Amino acid sequence: MPIVELKKIRKVYDTKVAVEGLSLTIEPGTMFGLLGPNGSGKTSSIRMMIGMTVPDSGSVSLFGKPFDRGALHRVGYLPEERGLYKKMKVLDQLVFLGQLHGLSESKARERSLAWCERVQITEAIEKKTEELSKGMQQKIQFIAALLHEPELIIMDEPFSGLDPVNAELLQDTLIDLRKEGKAVLFSTHRMDQVEKMCDSIALISRGKLVLSGSMREVKSSYPRNRVHVVFSGDELFLQNPEVEEAKNYAGIAELKLHNEAGAQKVLAEAMARGTVIHRYEVKEPTLEEIFIEQVRASFGDEEARGIADA
Amino acid sequence: MHNVWLIAKREYTERIKTKGFLIATILIPVLMGGGLFGVATMASKAKATAHIAVVGSQPQLAEDLKRELEDSKESKMTVDVLPPSTAHAVLDQQISNNLLDAYLVIVPATGSGQRPTFDFTPRSTADIATSTTIENALHRVLTREYLAAKGASESETSALMEPVTLVVIAGNGKRGDSKTSFYVAYTLFLLMYMVVLLYGMNVARSIIEEKTSRVFEVLLATITPDELLAGKIVGVGAVGLSQVGIWMVAAGLIAARLGATSGVQISMPQVVYFIVFFVLGYTLYSAVAAALGAMTNSEQELQQLNMFMMIPLFLSLLMLQPIVSNPNSMLSRIVSQIPFCAPLLMNLRVSISMPQPWEIALSIGLILVTIYAVLWVSSRIYRVGILMYGKKPNLPEILRWLKYS
Repeated sequence: MPIVELKKIRKVYDTKVAVEGLSLTIEPGTMFGLLGPNGSGKTSSIRMMIGMTVPDSGSVSLFGKPFDRGALHRVGYLPEERGLYKKMKVLDQLVFLGQLHGLSESKARERSLAWCERVQITEAIEKKTEELSKGMQQKIQFIAALLHEPELIIMDEPFSGLDPVNAELLQDTLIDLRKEGKAVLFSTHRMDQVEKMCDSIALISRGKLVLSGSMREVKSSYPRNRVHVVFSGDELFLQNPEVEEAKNYAGIAELKLHNEAGAQKVLAEAMARGTVIHRYEVKEPTLEEIFIEQVRASFGDEEARGIADA
Repeated sequence: MHNVWLIAKREYTERIKTKGFLIATILIPVLMGGGLFGVATMASKAKATAHIAVVGSQPQLAEDLKRELEDSKESKMTVDVLPPSTAHAVLDQQISNNLLDAYLVIVPATGSGQRPTFDFTPRSTADIATSTTIENALHRVLTREYLAAKGASESETSALMEPVTLVVIAGNGKRGDSKTSFYVAYTLFLLMYMVVLLYGMNVARSIIEEKTSRVFEVLLATITPDELLAGKIVGVGAVGLSQVGIWMVAAGLIAARLGATSGVQISMPQVVYFIVFFVLGYTLYSAVAAALGAMTNSEQELQQLNMFMMIPLFLSLLMLQPIVSNPNSMLSRIVSQIPFCAPLLMNLRVSISMPQPWEIALSIGLILVTIYAVLWVSSRIYRVGILMYGKKPNLPEILRWLKYS
């Protein structure tokens, strides 16, 4: 039974199409990455998933049943824009949000304290939100989404604005939750995080699904035509006709070849020219490369460069 | 329902705890009571103190007027009596040099049995107090002279000129005081005006706060916008009601302390009607405020839309005087049925002169219908508006929101 199932959902705001015929499925116990450039419809899709807005057409199912507000107590949501009451004390705030998710006051209090300890912010408990750093506020928001032990955790850009130590702490927490069998969906721009953490991904651009599937499927559908070379000496081998594109950073080069077979020919030429090769690695494209390529294809080429760089 | 309760409880406890609540609870009655008392005292104690000149060929009339104006209940003016030959140019000069406030020229009557005429030149034509005082004084002086000419004695004249006092008997047979009951009605009116405006704006402000801090995004992931709106209106309203409650109890205690000496009487029906109309008025205005809050992104933008709340309240304020002077006129009856004015004006009528029961019932009915309609519109604007950030929507956009389900 899939946890989330979107079928051809479509949402139009006035004249702008935010989401167009999007379908995706999230299985239990998966870490699902929702990728896409800014303004591609990630947040709109998430809002429809949790009934904040209603799709114009198409259907949303949660936990194997058509969408019903009762199911929301089994969902934890961390919005992209953080939102906490500034003047409220942290603990009061967590208890209030826990109660809204159907917990009793004592249960909410007990779990809030436990979570504060787990993410190392016990000293913040008695403070007002406005006195805390951004990172701390983010952790509180993070806890608020998890207090009621949801089976589906939806996080919109959960790691933005966190320092590496705290980002890792939250990443590990999410990985632990996945191990407990919860489904986690998060959206991000950071492809390295997705590559490291996710089992499945969906890439949307301009409101349409461009690419989806398990991480392995997605990657293996691309040819192993990337080469990472570390060399010294003659660099003319980089102009071999098999090379489609080469970026040379003084002795370290990233090559994109026309096809997988070309790697050997390029290496042979380098040897023939007497270039000293320290390292020669044939790889599949990184997720980032796939991302840029797909987004570019969905836009015009020029436009995409601006977006992918942003 | 549970969610509405949770939201309302949070609004209530967070607001009650603030210093602002404490300050408003103490300051509003102090300022308002002090202001009313101050104005009333000033008005009763104030005497006209202008420096005027009287120019005339009838020395008797001029002297009598001088006596009347220099030392009477309502005036303590300085009066110079000048011969008729005085040039007006000199007096004009004195006025422009601030040496004189006004001068009065007495033109003798042309025939017997006719009054003299009076030309009055004040420095400021808007100085109604001085001219009214002089008119009254002249009237008294002329009456006295006439009576004296007809042979009435000094004591007879004084007795006739004595002002008349009405002994006001309230409905319950006790001696009442129209002035204090007027002040009570007036105070209750202003109290409701301020509290409805204050707490209505608080609803709008709290919506904007949640919007700018993006708390909505979290809340809407579990509860519906309607629950959020209902909880907010109930919570903020409860704070207002608590505040009014504190004032009422305090006023009751003070009245009990002062006992009968104060003469201030607030009857039980007055209190009950006040609370009923307060709740209705607050709900109506906070529903409007909710829509305004949902449409805007910041306090500044809200200020620009404030007039939608201010205009009907201001209209009620304008109607205060006509209703007080004639609570059962056609005008009073009509304006006190307008739903946006009714909470204030019908309550005012209740506290000065009980209207027909059907009038009260009709106004409450009309308010309830309007509340329902406004809430219907507001909740739709709210539902869409709270998720819209950035640009301010225009009217066609807002109308389109109403169609979203």
